[in-house]
Amino acid sequence: MEKFELLQPKGLREAVLALAEGDADRSTMVLAGGQDLLTEMKEHLAEPSLVVDISGLPQLAGIGEVKDGSIRLGANATIAQIAGHPRLRADLPILTEAADSIASPQIRSVATLGGNLNQRPRCWYYRNEEAFCLKKGGSVCYAAEGMNKYNAILGGGPSYIVHPSDMAPALIALDARVQLVGPDGDREVALADYYTLPSDGPMTSETVRANGEIVVDVIVPPQPQGLRSTYLKFKERESYDWALASVALAVVMDGGVVRHARMSLGGVAPKPWTVDVQGVLAGRPVNDETVAKVADLALDGAKALAHNGYKIPLTRGLIARAFQQLS
Amino acid sequence: MSSDPKSADPATISFTVQESSWTPRKEMTVLDRDIPRIDGPDKVTGRARYSHDMRLPNMVYARLVLAKTPRATVDEIDIAAAQQIEGVVHVGIQKNAGDELAYLGDDSVVAYVAAETPEAAKDAARAVRFMLSPKAPVVTREQSLDPEAPQITRRGNVRAGRGPRGADETEALLEKSAHQVRATYTLPIQHHVCLETHGCVVDFDAAAGEATVYASTQMVSGNAGMFAGLLGLDASKVRIVCQHMGGGFGSKFGPDLQGAIACTIAKATGRPVHLMLDRPQEFQMAGNRSGTHAEVALGCDADGKLTAAAGTIDKLGGVGNGSFPGFPYIYECPSAAQTRSVHTALDSNRAMRAPGHPQASFVMESAVDELAYAVGIGPLEMRMRNAPDDVWKRHLRVVAKEIGWAEHPHKTAPGTPGADGWTEGIGFGLATWRAGGSGGGRCDITIERDGSVISSCGVQDLGTGSRTYVAAIPAEELGLTIEDVTARIGDSALPPGVGSGGSVTTGSIAPVIKQAAHNARVEFEKRLSEITEVAPGGYVWENGSIRTEDGSFDVPFRDACSLLGNKAITASAGFDESNHLTAGGRLHGAQAARVRVDTVTGRVVVVDMVAIQDTGLPLNRLAVRSQINGGMIQALSYGLLEERIVDPELGLLLTDNLESYKIAGSREIGAIRSIIDDEDDRWSVTGMAEATSIPGHSAIANAIFNACGARLRSVPFTPDRVLDALAERA
Ligand SMILES: Cc1cc2nc3c(=O)[nH]c(=O)nc-3n(C[C@H](O)[C@H](O)[C@H](O)COP(=O)(O)OP(=O)(O)OC[C@H]3O[C@@H](n4cnc5c(N)ncnc54)[C@H](O)[C@@H]3O)c2cc1C
Repeated sequence: MEKFELLQPKGLREAVLALAEGDADRSTMVLAGGQDLLTEMKEHLAEPSLVVDISGLPQLAGIGEVKDGSIRLGANATIAQIAGHPRLRADLPILTEAADSIASPQIRSVATLGGNLNQRPRCWYYRNEEAFCLKKGGSVCYAAEGMNKYNAILGGGPSYIVHPSDMAPALIALDARVQLVGPDGDREVALADYYTLPSDGPMTSETVRANGEIVVDVIVPPQPQGLRSTYLKFKERESYDWALASVALAVVMDGGVVRHARMSLGGVAPKPWTVDVQGVLAGRPVNDETVAKVADLALDGAKALAHNGYKIPLTRGLIARAFQQLS
Repeated sequence: MSSDPKSADPATISFTVQESSWTPRKEMTVLDRDIPRIDGPDKVTGRARYSHDMRLPNMVYARLVLAKTPRATVDEIDIAAAQQIEGVVHVGIQKNAGDELAYLGDDSVVAYVAAETPEAAKDAARAVRFMLSPKAPVVTREQSLDPEAPQITRRGNVRAGRGPRGADETEALLEKSAHQVRATYTLPIQHHVCLETHGCVVDFDAAAGEATVYASTQMVSGNAGMFAGLLGLDASKVRIVCQHMGGGFGSKFGPDLQGAIACTIAKATGRPVHLMLDRPQEFQMAGNRSGTHAEVALGCDADGKLTAAAGTIDKLGGVGNGSFPGFPYIYECPSAAQTRSVHTALDSNRAMRAPGHPQASFVMESAVDELAYAVGIGPLEMRMRNAPDDVWKRHLRVVAKEIGWAEHPHKTAPGTPGADGWTEGIGFGLATWRAGGSGGGRCDITIERDGSVISSCGVQDLGTGSRTYVAAIPAEELGLTIEDVTARIGDSALPPGVGSGGSVTTGSIAPVIKQAAHNARVEFEKRLSEITEVAPGGYVWENGSIRTEDGSFDVPFRDACSLLGNKAITASAGFDESNHLTAGGRLHGAQAARVRVDTVTGRVVVVDMVAIQDTGLPLNRLAVRSQINGGMIQALSYGLLEERIVDPELGLLLTDNLESYKIAGSREIGAIRSIIDDEDDRWSVTGMAEATSIPGHSAIANAIFNACGARLRSVPFTPDRVLDALAERA
């Protein structure tokens, strides 16, 4: 690990200002639970000069209801706190199921929501210092032609990473928004719009977050009455693993037909792959035919690389399973 | 009879010695029971010290610098920056400009550093700058077999084994066979994944001309000579200590390059050196189980009796030869199968728990299984008709009963998934190994006047439980409890142990301990005979007391020890006088697996695994079952997940950490049931741990076929492969 300066700011403002001072010569980074950042630093994938430890900031803590019935998840809420939250477990199992599926109990007890949403890709070329790939500012995506069993079937190119977060698709299916504080003020972004594709812009980031901005919390708006939700994640190794593919699904049924439906996929694309299923489902029943339509829509444009073709039938199967679970 | 113990006639003792035999099962009080390992509390509380944990005064931390390119020429290497780093004590060059890197492995070590702290060593290792001119990687079988491929070893890229003999006749037999299977089976390179990485701590005192090495090794006694050579000392001046070791599985017999470098640094700096590999280095240079590419044919007659075997089996052991014991493995029929080594620019395979056998098992048990369904008699009946001896047949009956084969609905054809996409199946596989031990081990038993009993042998405990029987065997012999005996092991200053390879440790060491304890007892009885006038042989040692058969003398053990006068009892034994206590012949074993397959996702869930193992006299039933469990888990992990992956173009080892090199965790492991074969009538000892890791993954592959008709011909059976095999079936 390179030497770095550690700042433990007293308040959000101090943190934001310190972060904003970063430039090309003196990079600054946010540290929350450190489960990803410290690994990246140890492996020299990240070499910040200044590390701003936000773990003590009270504004980022906690899980609770706000006045309009929204639920606020502080960026520093741990994955374990989300998984163990009784109210979420009862009303929004999609969130607790996603949280439960992440990593191991030890990691969940330290890893934060903010860190989970902002973690970097797991592609084994990116994580190998030796491979100077697109994601590190290089000119080649080694996965495109290489050992790409775990890589993207949707939205890929020129980089074929998959976004590793399990919380992100689950929150997107609930229309969640992130609240950011930055040197130029506060802003709110729909989580679905928070993520970018490699073709959208700078390859060295997966989000629209500007340097200096901190995710303060995630707001889950009030959900329609009767919402049922699930997060179905498929791992190669059940004990702990990233998703080969996952389906976040939230639906409201009304007299045998769908009134409201949201779906986002994990493990298949460089960002959570959000599929606008409301159109094909609204006013229709959930049956083999409509589910097949949803799967067709979700996998529209899917392109297998040499070793990840299995993800196409797998994702179809998981979509069907998720609907079975909710109907 | 009365005699002077000081002038005891050795002939008298050896006469009694010949009578040593293991206590009959019904009379045993310590052995043949579940004995919790005596170092368990030390291990779970962290008190146990491994080589990694050694911290000596004035010690330096050393670290290797590895290139990540399989084949290259070193253009330039510069250690100046590394030398400047604060706390750096020593930097050495292993590969100079102009040197070749021939393969990914220990040949990748270009330099090494030593520093006051591990952090400074890490920084220094990173500061070593080197420039390489990479060459074509040649890391796959296909790359190696390409006619244009560069030569990987001096012997060329392909080294053919014997044969094929009688290829034409065998081919004729195959053609005439009622059924035949011709298929390609492949297995990846598997790693040992020792929890404690390879390495040692070398404490060299140049002035005194002696050294102590804390080595993580499977061969404490044998390492003294090897490290002595590296340090320029006599073996008598080097002491090897390994009180606890975190797994070896066949990969930790010698000092290796890291041991040699630790010695070099110790000589150069005059300070104790700590040099352990880190996890990526462990994956790159600490050995592996060779991969396999087998194109084989197997035939049988209309009744399922095997008729002939043929084919070519490529052993993929990197620059090593790989291992594969042959085809049709433990089954019997004329065979023209030929094995050959196909070399790649990867580190050599090493011995790994039953070298070659899990590979041979997978190839053969898969082919047998394919024929079983072709004949229509099902996998159990097929094996009953072909198992080469009755012990295997008995074993098959036991595991078939335990796994619920009789009630299983589809025995001769695969099942069909239910509405939920899931289906269930059962599969089988057989194991083998040789029983027995080898010579060279010795044990000393000391009985002090205060009643202390010390059992000493330089053998190591790989986590398998040898320390426990070093104490338990004398306890049984002397009518004591295991707490009454102190075990001293893991130190080359003790009487020699043997290397722990080939499952020989127990068969080599347990008899020696037993014999030494027996000799101690005879010696003790001789001394007592001066007091009691009852001749040796007329004593009963039971419940912590010694009494004469006639009841004239009956005292607690401790009190009896106080009668020993001014001289403790010491006795010793070697293998020659005790090898009648070792089992001979063959080991068998059968395993069955019940799996559930999700045909939607390709998930395989192993819900139940059963193994039976013959093991002669089970000294410690808990330890034996623990070994069987471990064997099954290792095979399950191999079957479901493990695979070394190297990028064929870049030559990069992508699975050099425990995130991408996946091993089974608790949720992969269903019910695991280990059965000790108590009908094995050899009342003598043998190890058996290697046999238990042989057939598990084969049974799982066969169970997948029985469940859904997908034939998995490549290990591991990951969801992508299962989905592919399902698609192929359709
Ligand atoms: C072995 C292992 C297995 C894992 N498995 C899974 C899995 O199955 N599914 C899954 O979803 N995740 C998984 N993870 C990822 C894990 O959930 C994340 O690493 C963790 O949530 C990161 O949180 P942290 O608080 O430790 O973040 P840190 O490591 O502190 O930060 C991670 C990144 O986010 C940035 N960051 C952190 N907080 C903020 C904030 N408030 N605003 C802006 N940027 C911020 C940091 O600068 C850094 O770039 C796994 C991790 C490990 C190590």
